[in-house]
Amino acid sequence: MAAVLRLMIPTNESVEPDDRELVRTIQSGNAEAFEQLVRRKTSKVYGLCYRIIGNAEDAKDIAQLVFIKLWENLNKYDANYAFDTWLYRMVTNVAIDFMRNKQSRENAVNSNLRLVKTASDPEQGVVVQRKEIEGVFNAVSSVLSPKQKMIFVMREMEDLGSAEIARILGCRESTVRNHLFNARKLMQQELKVRFPEYARLWEDRA
Amino acid sequence: MISCETFRASLHAGSSDPAVLGHLRSCDACLDEAVRIDPDNFFRAVGGEELVPPGGVEAFTESVMDQVRLRRTETFVGRRFLVAPRRLAAAAAIVAATAIGALLYDTTAPKPHLAVHPAIAAVTKPAPLVTKPVVETYQSKGATIVEMPTDGAASPNVVMIIDSSLPSDL
Repeated sequence: MAAVLRLMIPTNESVEPDDRELVRTIQSGNAEAFEQLVRRKTSKVYGLCYRIIGNAEDAKDIAQLVFIKLWENLNKYDANYAFDTWLYRMVTNVAIDFMRNKQSRENAVNSNLRLVKTASDPEQGVVVQRKEIEGVFNAVSSVLSPKQKMIFVMREMEDLGSAEIARILGCRESTVRNHLFNARKLMQQELKVRFPEYARLWEDRA
Repeated sequence: MISCETFRASLHAGSSDPAVLGHLRSCDACLDEAVRIDPDNFFRAVGGEELVPPGGVEAFTESVMDQVRLRRTETFVGRRFLVAPRRLAAAAAIVAATAIGALLYDTTAPKPHLAVHPAIAAVTKPAPLVTKPVVETYQSKGATIVEMPTDGAASPNVVMIIDSSLPSDL
């Protein structure tokens, strides 16, 4: 009965055999299959890179590097694990390296620069502009560590569960929840400093 | 996509329902309400959608494949030399043997005596070298003579004569 039910419930797992099959074809020496894999995963990889890095050109470079690393390490892929988890792990490794280098460069130059947006009228209600959110996120997420930012993006923007993120990063689920809690706290503090009108959203709830 | 009414009715803090998140990310009219109910929806509102790299997916894929082909070629060439050290050793041995053979032949084989035509010999005959006399005499009125100190009687005396008017090839 359980087997019948499993067949009837559509899950993401149904997509996985295709990826695995494609990887097997590539491992047997078919470069065209790799091209197909790149085409299939570009939006996913680039999207994650863009949200983590916050810059289209850098995100594109990182995404390309991810696919080249994927090509070089494809023989190490273990088909017992979901391909996307393995792919995301590769993205996180490359992106974290990039962010660490970028952070050390920027800390040396821009340590005292801050963008402060003051509220026009403290009594006035906040009107959230979708187009502004991305800029606000890029500004306030700069206080997060690369790992915290990675976890925040995967959880809140890519809608991955804590268990999946833990598998990707090779850590415990409790560690993921911990990083997420700290990331939210740090971002709220930074919102208070840079975007007080948006920080009030969280204060009102409290 | 679910309607605004359904969205607002099913919205609650920490909702991870894909339909609710889908509406949150596409409906500007419901954004304020969603953020008021759960401020964490503020950042959730920009996620979800699939992004395309600058230039499009095709150009991106082509660029990746170019780099993959390049690396594959590099690896192939590198591997050919790394995988076949015996072939390399054999080639090196042949080159070395040929070089040694050529050297031995050059030094041991009798050289044919070639007669040179008198006209060519006359043209190619080198001009006699003219050397300067060992001792030359110059007269100078403004020379500075410096005698270098010596260690003892056995050491030769060194005398420096400094005169900018003397010829440089002296």
